[in-house]
Parts: sequence; C-alpha cells; structure tokens
Amino acid sequence: MPYNIAMISDFFFPQPGGVESHIYQLSTKLIDRGHKVIIVTHAYEGRTGIRYLTNGLKVYHVPFFVIYRESTFPTVFSFFPIFRNIVIRERIEIVHGHASLSSLCHEAILHARTMGLRTVFTDHSLFGFADAASILTNKLLKFTLSDVDHVICVSHTCKENTVLRASLDPLMVSVIPNAVVAENFRPLNYPTNLTDGFLTSPTEIRPPHPPSHHLGPHDTITIIVISRLFYNKGTDLLIAAIPRILAAHPNVRFIIAGSGPKAIDLEQMLERNVLQDRVEMLGSIRHEEVRDVMVRGHIYLHPSLTEAFGTVIVEAASCGLYVVCTRVGGIPEVLPAHMTTFAKPEEDDIVAATSQAIERMRSNKIRTERFHDQVKVMYSWTDVARRTERVYDGISGVLSEEEFYGYRDAGSAAGWSATRGRAGVQSFALIDRLKRYYGCGIWAGKLFCLCVIVDYLLFVFLELWAPRANIDIARNWPKKRQQSVEPSAPVEQRQEESELARKRSTRHREKRREP
Amino acid sequence: MIYPSTQAPTLHHYRPTNTTVSFTVSTRRPATTLTARLLSYAQVAARVLIGSLILLLFRAKWKQHVARGNHLTYSDWTLTSAAYWIATRAEWRWLAPVGLLGLWLVVRRGYTEESLLVLRGLGIQTSSSSNTYLTTSTTRFIPTTQIQDIFIHEAFKGFEVKFYLVIVIEGEEDVLVVFPNLLPKRQILEEVWRGARSCLYEPKS
Repeated sequence: MPYNIAMISDFFFPQPGGVESHIYQLSTKLIDRGHKVIIVTHAYEGRTGIRYLTNGLKVYHVPFFVIYRESTFPTVFSFFPIFRNIVIRERIEIVHGHASLSSLCHEAILHARTMGLRTVFTDHSLFGFADAASILTNKLLKFTLSDVDHVICVSHTCKENTVLRASLDPLMVSVIPNAVVAENFRPLNYPTNLTDGFLTSPTEIRPPHPPSHHLGPHDTITIIVISRLFYNKGTDLLIAAIPRILAAHPNVRFIIAGSGPKAIDLEQMLERNVLQDRVEMLGSIRHEEVRDVMVRGHIYLHPSLTEAFGTVIVEAASCGLYVVCTRVGGIPEVLPAHMTTFAKPEEDDIVAATSQAIERMRSNKIRTERFHDQVKVMYSWTDVARRTERVYDGISGVLSEEEFYGYRDAGSAAGWSATRGRAGVQSFALIDRLKRYYGCGIWAGKLFCLCVIVDYLLFVFLELWAPRANIDIARNWPKKRQQSVEPSAPVEQRQEESELARKRSTRHREKRREP
Repeated sequence: MIYPSTQAPTLHHYRPTNTTVSFTVSTRRPATTLTARLLSYAQVAARVLIGSLILLLFRAKWKQHVARGNHLTYSDWTLTSAAYWIATRAEWRWLAPVGLLGLWLVVRRGYTEESLLVLRGLGIQTSSSSNTYLTTSTTRFIPTTQIQDIFIHEAFKGFEVKFYLVIVIEGEEDVLVVFPNLLPKRQILEEVWRGARSCLYEPKS
C-alpha cells in the first residue's frame, strides 16, 4: 500500500553528514518501493525554494532563520501555516521526522498530530542525562514523543537511550540500523564485472572470491583512522595510544583523516615524538574520498567514546579492513565478531587490542577479502526501506496490533495503552492527546497542554482563513513502472548505477536562479 | 457598488489563427446576461457622474477662493448652485482629502487582469492591468529568439506554496513570471503552458 510520506529534518543536503545521507537513501529506496516521498528542510545558503533530486524526490527548503549549527530557531507555531499548506498540497499521510536536535522536526510532529496525521520519529544520536543542554533537549524530546505513533532508533543502545530520555513504551520503538551503499565501498582488486554494465543473466554472475593477500612478517601494516577530531570521537585516546603502538610495532603506519578542534593536539603529539614519517595526516576529506583512503590500509581504528551506530565502521569493513573499536554505544551491535576486535575506551586496552589485531593480520588468520560480500548482505538501504515500510503499515493499522507489536494478551494491554484507540494506533482526539502531554511533568505537562491547545486553535483558525479547497494539489512525479517481483540483486545494482549516472549529470547542469 | 463584480481568477483564451493565441486571466466576472450588462453600463455611468460632480465641486470652491469673501451664490435649483451651496459651507481641509479620495475611488479599476499573447515566429507579450483607469497596463514583449524555456514551478510566497509560470529569457539573470499579481491555480497555468508551447513551437513533422 503506497503512502505519501514527508521526511522532515533540519539537516539535509547540501550539508554533508550521516543523518542527511540516511534521509536521502531511505527516501530514494522508499520511492523505488512505490511510495511518494517529499523532504522538508530549511533553506540553505544558495539552496532555497523547491527542488527535485534524483528519482523525483522533492525537497522543500522552507525559508527559516538558522541559529546554531544549521538548526532553526524553535518558533513553535510559525511553521504551522506553511507546513499545513505543504501537507495538503502534497496529500501527505505520514510525517517522518529525523534527528532529535532538529526543532523543525519536533514542530512538524506536533502540527502533524494536530492535523490528524500519522507520525514517525527517527533518532540518530545518543544523549546524556546530566548536563543542562541534555536536560533541555530531553524535555523537548519528551514533549514531542508524548504523542508520536512510532519511534525508530538506529541501534538497540540508541533505543534504550531514547526510551529512557523520552519515557516511552519500548514496544513503540523499533530498531532499524543504518546501511551503507556497499557498491561505493569496494575493496581494492574487487572484481568489478558485476556492475560494469552488460548483465546477461543473474546465473552467470558468480563472483570468484578475490585472492587473499598474504602479509609477510615484515610487510607494512597501515592503520586508518577517519573521524572528526572531537572529544567525543576519542581523539585523546588516539593521541595517547599512537606512540605506544608505533613503539611496539616497527612496521606499522597510520593514516588519519578528518579535522576538528583536537587536530592541533594530535599534531603536537606527532612533533613531540617525531612520528611525522610514520603518521600521515590528510586533513578533512569528502565523503566520496573515504573509500579511496580506506583501501590504502589494513586495519581501521575507531576510538570513539560515544556512538549511536557508527556507519563508518561498516564502511571500513565493506572496504575489507579489519576493525578495532571501542565497546561503547551501539558499536558492538554493528559488526559480527570475526570482523572486529573490541577494546574498553581506555588507553591500555586500545593499545592491547590494536596489537592483537596486528598479530592476527600478520598471522593471516583473517579473511578480510570476504568482508565486503558479507557486509553487502547485512546492510542495504533496500532492507532498511522495507523495514521502515513495515512500521508505516503498523501505525496506519494495515498490520494488526498483534502482528506489528508481536505480542498481545488482553490483560497486559490495559496497563499502558489507555489512550490507544483501534488496533493499537494512537487516537487523534484532542482530549486523548492532552492526557498524554499532561503526564510530562508538574509544570511542563501544563505548559505542553497549553501549547497543544494553542496549536489546535491555530489549526481551526487556519482552516477558516486558508480553506483547504483553495490549496492547489501538486502533481506527483511520474512513476516508473511497478516492479511486480522483488528485484533481484543485479537489477538493483543496475538501478543504482543509473542513479549515479543521473546524479552526475544533474550536478553539471548549469546554474539557474529562481525568482 | 460602482465596481464590476469579481471572482476567483478565471481564464479566457482567444485564438484567431493557428499561430496566434491570447490568454487572459481576470478576476472580473464576465457580463453575460442582459441584466449584468446593463448593470455594468450603469456602473460606468455612475462613475462618470460621481467623478464630474467632484470636479464641479472643486471648481466651485476654487471660484469662491479666487473671489475672496463676496460669496458667489446662486439661488436656482441647478447642480451648479448646489455645488456652490456646499462649497460655501465646506472648508478646503475637508473638501480636498474627501474629494481626492472620491476621485481615486472612481478611477480605480477594482479588478486585475493579466494576459499572455503568443505569436508564432515573433514572440510573447505579457501584460498586467494597472490599478487605475488613467494609467496604461504594463506590457513586455520578448522576441522568440530570446526565449529559452517556459515552465511551471513552485515557490514559497507568504505562508503558502504557489505555482507560477515563468519564461526564461536569454541573457537575463532573472526569469520573467507570467501573471505575477494573480498567480492563478495550477489547472489554469497548465492550460496556458500547453497552449503557449504548442503555439510558440511548430509541431514536429
């Protein structure tokens, strides 16, 4: 059953980042599955108005005031008129917000519930509970998530975190991990005949396993680190560990890519220990270049202190790198044991784990050349889209409650779902919504209720002031023919290839200004 | 009362030959029945009448002003004497603003009309009606050689998203929006777009 979905987040292209590409990839795959997807974000420098991306993905760059790190100013109600207009003209049924730091997303979820739409929220990050900023963010999150139909988290750790922060029922939180476009992260010497164009028949494609490369006892092992050099990415651990690792293993090199406030500390460490010839600093690199850097190495070191998912280690494994990472956040869930060595987030343990990994590589026990195929099977955006679609089915009542939540006896149902209506979907009645918000806190509950009532009155006013009948319905992007069968792997790859080609051609299109 | 009745923008097109087509979007309700037509004539007559009365009043006041003190009065029952009667009692500071407002209301158009004229081989002319009957409408002609493209797109306007039809002109940084004041609905724009393209470009043989 095709849905009309609006993805809403402050973070979208042209800004680079994980959330941005998540939204883009998910939207593209949902469109391939026959849904209609639009993206609503705020206007960026040189990127305003309404744009189309590959495959008819429509992006609304709403003109809004940006305060901090591309987040918009939280004006609770000013977004409503334009949001309502967009929702009506695009006939949106499901509003899907992304990222907990995006106020646009929170506002959209509130307004969408007022308008009687289904809402989903995807959380991409972990937060603390102690400092002032976290407390504020958590309160805001609690406000929004009091009345949301479903929440998606990128890992089980993230789910735990979100459930605690927003006091949610764990049953209404799903875990759908990120994915990688495995084709963009191929190891060196990987047979490329798969995607070189002429595909004759799926049976013919049986890629021979690439030959395993044996490392001699004196061959150089290169360790790659690609991360933004921030405190939370564990750069301090890296600074402490590098001299010790290099001292213990003579034939080891480091390549570090990324920039950030800790870059200066890292350079000082290199100068102090005179390691410039063994550690290469590349500075910040673009996402397209990540693969080219990764394939130069053998081991990927990821010393992060907190991480909701860690897409980069999947990318590293896909490039055929053995991964050494800290056992924090959602990282332990991401890769199977034979691809990784875990360390505690402390200096000694990281040195020990890295040394262990080097020994394993030297003894040629690890078949890194098989990682790419394994990762390709584990993580694909098509799969993410399929699972997200199931969530949409669940919240709009297409799947029965039992099927969607995977349990049900009448007794336990009564416990927490007093406000739930038919088939486990949230009721839209204002009084039911107020009940949910009222439980947010002594003062906050009342404040939130006030906000919801004002929002509702605003909605009634807008219905009178700008009647639905006067709003033009936008045309849908002409759809490709429906694929009745589940697309097999080669077809999918061919699609991705053609998408890439199209993307390139649009990039070279001449600039045209809008009035 | 003195204005033509208005409605949501509607499209009229006029196609005298295969190579010429004119699209007009107007908020004026077309006078089709006899009563509607009579009413519109009456409205024009009322405007002319009110306008000339105000001018007459101004003239009377001006004459009194020039005559200084010895009030010119007429005792017969004509329009002129009525004007003088009012002029003696009203002061300039009331008469002038009220009169000017009246004049402005009389010459105001009260509806908006914008049009697009397409001539194959020559070009496109856009025009937007002015606010008053005294000024002419603003028109712009674009020769065919300068027209790069015509398309419909969407943009944020105020608190809503509107469709608009634009012409991309060679050598100009900004595109030209057709029907810039009315910004009619998508159905109208699509009809104009199809018509304009089929008229502007010869059908492929």
